[in-house]
Amino acid sequence: MAVRILQVIAALLLAALVGVAFFWHPEPPTRELPRAAEAPGGDFTLTSAAGPVALADLRGKVVLLYFGYTYCPDICPTALATAAAALGSLSEAEAARVAMLFISVDPARDSPAHLREYTAFFHPAIVGVTGSEAEVAAVAARYGVYFARQPAAAGGPYAVDHSSEIQLISPDGRRAGKLPHGFTPESLVVEIRRLLR
Amino acid sequence: MIKPIVLIAAAALCLPAWGGSADDVAVQDPYVRLAPPGAPATAAFMVLKNAGDKPASLVRVDNGVAKVTELHNHTNDGGVMRMRQVKAVEVPAKGEAKLEPGGLHVMLIDLKTPLKEGGRVALTLGFADGSSKTVDAKVVRPGASGEGQHHHH
Repeated sequence: MAVRILQVIAALLLAALVGVAFFWHPEPPTRELPRAAEAPGGDFTLTSAAGPVALADLRGKVVLLYFGYTYCPDICPTALATAAAALGSLSEAEAARVAMLFISVDPARDSPAHLREYTAFFHPAIVGVTGSEAEVAAVAARYGVYFARQPAAAGGPYAVDHSSEIQLISPDGRRAGKLPHGFTPESLVVEIRRLLR
Repeated sequence: MIKPIVLIAAAALCLPAWGGSADDVAVQDPYVRLAPPGAPATAAFMVLKNAGDKPASLVRVDNGVAKVTELHNHTNDGGVMRMRQVKAVEVPAKGEAKLEPGGLHVMLIDLKTPLKEGGRVALTLGFADGSSKTVDAKVVRPGASGEGQHHHH
């Protein structure tokens, strides 16, 4: 009888093992995306074509941050054109209290001079800034922004995976929410006006 | 007398080359996005509508404006946009494929000369069955909510 029970247990264990081998496909570990809610934000200084730009110098203004790169053919122009439409629909008094920084996560290809040309195409109020790889990575980490350069085809340009979102900074310099990719000019205007009150 | 018959026979043999995906697929609202100054790449968008009974597969887009042209897709992974090259854009039988901002697009890399707003770019769409067709795409300034809307005004 004991032998019989052992045989049954052995058979069950074998069945379980086979089941695991066939049906359990553990996902390879992937890099965790930073959780924006935990990112503290805070002051930083990066470089524009006109010199250093410090977030601390923009106190009193609602500041919009967008992290991207100029080689980006689709996502960044969409976000910047949408933000530009929002900026363009503000009154003059409102616009005077709003700043926007386009932070390049691709300093290897985006010089400050190049960024100035690029951002001016969308709206004169958008200032392009960047820094060393380490400086940009530090700011991105503090704002919960993920970016990663991708391998390129032989001789071809590389792409950069990146969070596409508009981050909002209140006039007192604190993080005040963000809008995910696909936001509308109207939704951004609502957020800006909420922070200007 | 024989000659015309031979010609007709030859034409009949050629018929399959005329049919295929290029005939089945209609291209709606093709446009190229105006690249900001200094931006070396831009994208072309359109809607492909397949009236045929067979799926169509867009595999290449030839044009005179970019040194390299690739088909790309974007995936939105928890807010992170990941752009990847794809081998083909599949258009299901009696279905459509939308190439639109934030998704599938034709990526025009290393523009030979800057594009001009309102200009036109000839795009030759090549399908997996060897058929092809050329469409005239307008150069449109990046807009707020889908430049494609401009075409409906």
